[in-house]
Amino acid sequence: MSLKVSSASAAPPLLACLALLAAWEGAARVLDINGLPPAYDALRELPAILSDREALLNIAASLRRMLTGFVLALLISIPLGLAMARSPRVAAVFNPLLMLIYPVPKAALMPIIMLWLGIGDASKTIVIVLGVSLPVIYHSYQGARAIEEKLIWSAAAMGMRPAARLLRIVLPAALPQIFVGIRTGLVLALITMVTSEMIARQAGVGSILFNALDMAQYASVYAMIVIIGVLGFVLDLLFERLRAKLVAWAEPGHDIAVGTA
Amino acid sequence: MIVIEGLTKSFEPTRRQRHLALGDLSLSIGEGEFVSILGPSGCGKSTLLYVVGGFVPPSSGKVVVNGKAVTGPGPDRGPVFQEFALFPWKTVLGNVMYGLLEQGVPKALAESKARALISLVHLAGYEDFYPKQLSGGMKQRVAIARTLAYGPKILLMDEPFGALDAHTRTGLQRELLEIWERDRKTVLFVTHSVEEAVFLSDRVVVLTRSPGRIKAKIDIDLPRPRRRAELLVDRRYQTLVVEIEGLMDTQAQGRQ
Repeated sequence: MSLKVSSASAAPPLLACLALLAAWEGAARVLDINGLPPAYDALRELPAILSDREALLNIAASLRRMLTGFVLALLISIPLGLAMARSPRVAAVFNPLLMLIYPVPKAALMPIIMLWLGIGDASKTIVIVLGVSLPVIYHSYQGARAIEEKLIWSAAAMGMRPAARLLRIVLPAALPQIFVGIRTGLVLALITMVTSEMIARQAGVGSILFNALDMAQYASVYAMIVIIGVLGFVLDLLFERLRAKLVAWAEPGHDIAVGTA
Repeated sequence: MIVIEGLTKSFEPTRRQRHLALGDLSLSIGEGEFVSILGPSGCGKSTLLYVVGGFVPPSSGKVVVNGKAVTGPGPDRGPVFQEFALFPWKTVLGNVMYGLLEQGVPKALAESKARALISLVHLAGYEDFYPKQLSGGMKQRVAIARTLAYGPKILLMDEPFGALDAHTRTGLQRELLEIWERDRKTVLFVTHSVEEAVFLSDRVVVLTRSPGRIKAKIDIDLPRPRRRAELLVDRRYQTLVVEIEGLMDTQAQGRQ
């Protein structure tokens, strides 16, 4: 994968989008069902939604929750993953816990968390934290385990203390792999954000979407799906730019495998 | 001065298995001496180096460096590994400066020292390159400069040229000798190449097949400075190489 998005590589994704829209439009016309409005009808709703102050506030609030949950998750998951990799004892405690949590759909915990914390920001943010954490912990753990032990020895010979080695050697050495987890985490943050709002339908992108669905405003439903898709695409693109800059030093073998979400 | 006394090291891959890597090894290495450890692969020669470095604790016995028992790694013993082990997120300059900054040397001084060492290993002009942009030989030059930078009295070299092609290898052997002949650090050099050991060392220690014990210590009484082209046609050099190869061969036959 190239580090820069050149103008030449912008053409295929654009074509793919157009093809998708064409297929959608065609399918809607052929099938002619209520639940699948033509692409044009949905896209026509976009200006209305994007110029509506209420809707924009909702989208902004959703993004704020998502980013809060995302950042909190990183602050917990990266140190935990690194600690698990460097300490068999920490790994022995957390590995079974993570294996237990792993298959549970995080949004399914939403109703329980709502019982404790209500339907406000706290519940939704916690679900997002849970959603983001696992891939980040996993990749931080794997990345830190895979690093060349002799990197740490080299630093130790220079007189570096064990605690400093974790932060200054293990963390940067594992960074390319950690970024793979963060990228997956970013997409999962968006997904859990929407599902949490779908369950605690009080505000946000998810609640607009599902309220529209309840009122059979299908064009608006699809317009919201388009907005969420574009949000995800833009976030991922921005993240890739940042990643390319931060780990440009990494050997190509460390490059990201796309599509793990 | 390194004194190794009754050193053993065993690994326990599972509870029932016990693999003895080093068996009761004693050796002392004088200040400024260049000693090579030779042995078949798996004889524990790298393990010996790691124990001296303090990276791996011994199972029994001890290592004393300049009167102090080794309990962990320290800047008096600088390692150079076959895997280079450069910090990939740091440039050449950043790598060479790293140990100096770690020792609390002011940045400007660390940088000028690092730049001098980078030209010593013939890499001037590559200061801002990242390790991934360098060839194997260049990476190992950076690694040597990085270790020399923080001024260890002892160099611990673990098959440092083992991953390099023959041409690069002889070039780096010559450069290493030039550097060593200037400041005569104590060097413990692990290799499986007899020629390399004889070319570089004051003394060659041959280990037996696993568990590693000392099979022979051979003084290399070849005059210095040594030139590869002269040595290759030197009778004494040839005799030493043949003699040591013989030592390595008999143990191979003994096992197979």
